[in-house]
Amino acid sequence: MGDVARPYPRPDRDTTPFWEAQNRHELVFQRCKQCEAVRYPVGPLCPRCRSFDFDWVVSGGRGTVHSYTVVHHQAHPAFPVPYTVVLAEMDEGPRVIAQLRTPPDGRCEIGMPVRVEWEDHPHQSLPVFVPDEDRGST
Amino acid sequence: MTIRNKAAIVGIGQTEFSKDSGRSTLRMALEVVLEALGDAGLKPQDVDGVVKMGANDDIFEIDLLRSLDLPNLRFFNEVPHGGGAACGTIAMAVAAVAAGMADVVVTFRSLNERSERRFGQSSAGGAVGGWMQYNLPHGLVTPAQWIAIFAQRYLYEYGWTTEELGRVAVLCRKHAATNPHAMMYGRPITLEEHQSSRWIAEPLRLLDCTLDTDGACAAVVVSADKAKRLKGKSAYIAAAAQGTGRRAEMMTSYQRASLCRLEEAEATAKELYRIAELGPTDIDVAELYDHFTPMVLMALEAYGFAPPGKAPELLGEGRLELDGDTPLNTHGGHLGEGYLHGFGHIVEGVRQIRGTAVNQVREVRTCLVTSGTAVPTSGVILSKEPY
Repeated sequence: MGDVARPYPRPDRDTTPFWEAQNRHELVFQRCKQCEAVRYPVGPLCPRCRSFDFDWVVSGGRGTVHSYTVVHHQAHPAFPVPYTVVLAEMDEGPRVIAQLRTPPDGRCEIGMPVRVEWEDHPHQSLPVFVPDEDRGST
Repeated sequence: MTIRNKAAIVGIGQTEFSKDSGRSTLRMALEVVLEALGDAGLKPQDVDGVVKMGANDDIFEIDLLRSLDLPNLRFFNEVPHGGGAACGTIAMAVAAVAAGMADVVVTFRSLNERSERRFGQSSAGGAVGGWMQYNLPHGLVTPAQWIAIFAQRYLYEYGWTTEELGRVAVLCRKHAATNPHAMMYGRPITLEEHQSSRWIAEPLRLLDCTLDTDGACAAVVVSADKAKRLKGKSAYIAAAAQGTGRRAEMMTSYQRASLCRLEEAEATAKELYRIAELGPTDIDVAELYDHFTPMVLMALEAYGFAPPGKAPELLGEGRLELDGDTPLNTHGGHLGEGYLHGFGHIVEGVRQIRGTAVNQVREVRTCLVTSGTAVPTSGVILSKEPY
């Protein structure tokens, strides 16, 4: 398994700061300087007020599980099954995809609080979610 | 100006559906185009328009031009977004015919998806851009996995179980079982078989997922005036439309307010019903895109056959059976007949209008055909008579 590379992002002139931040173990979003709307995925223009001016804000890394899937059928050699992929709604608003890391008997539930941890890969560090014990289960 | 009943599908073609066609996609495309032209009473030299679906095939209009020696190809177009494009090819053909930019437009889909290039598997390595960069690196790599995220939320919000997904598969396989053309001819399934089939990506099991198919389909579109002079029995196009939703991505529009609504399908429905001056209760047969069972439930809601979250009740009450209010996927759909990315649904829609389907519904005047869900999509309403 280890000799098959998992896909990794190809940063471009819009997304490079986003992926560089992930290599520093920071999940960042864009925030419009005009209307302060936080947006994700990365893009050059604020879809709300159409301003090009933005800065980057660092996410607190906390959110709740909005949906998820447990993958049982292996479709890609770099991802041995089973594994769980979560769509988490972050406290800042955007929803983010990442794998869930749980104890061996851990289950995933919609509404479960999660927080971001980081895993380093050859080309790119990526976030994973873990249950957020501080906030307990809703 | 309206496009209502300005054009018609006058010819259809379809190869056998199999796990291995034993021939090239170009050869199959030519077989079905010739069959559709013959069905319409037209000749290759009459063709002056070609519209193809984008993605996942390597056949272009110039391949048809060279192979058929088309002398005057003057309208050619490619509709993007995979399975969302099927009825979009018909919409482009209608636009071309209505605008006088072409007289005879061929649309087609030809795939060796089972024997050559399987859509449900991924070996994508290396660097990925676009919307993929936010999903693939995390192991969310196939359509089944992308759709599972929507499906899990749908079941959670409305309190349904995977049995409701299973009823969609059981219905499509029931219709396929009596369709000799279907890959699953003679092979109906029970709900128990669905529930015991293996997980692919929760909440999707094997029997929630489309088949992979080798095969081809084609349709020929001409103006309504021309259709009346041809020998083929016409299916008039009461409406054809494309639709999009906010914050659109290809199968991963996860930033949307609700993951349980198909905004693209809702927009397409609104436009189709406006153009046709019809509503869901006027639809006699529905051929809805069924790559994964949960999306059929959401599509039934988007096209107005059930309120949000209530589509499973239609199945429970038998209202989508051949003798029900709105017979669904009468050929067996992708789940039972085979997966031509929505084109089999168009061809079956024409047969239902003509009265020549194997699972023929009685007194069909209108048929709704829809294309891919969770992507920018399209649909058509076919009519037996122009009105």
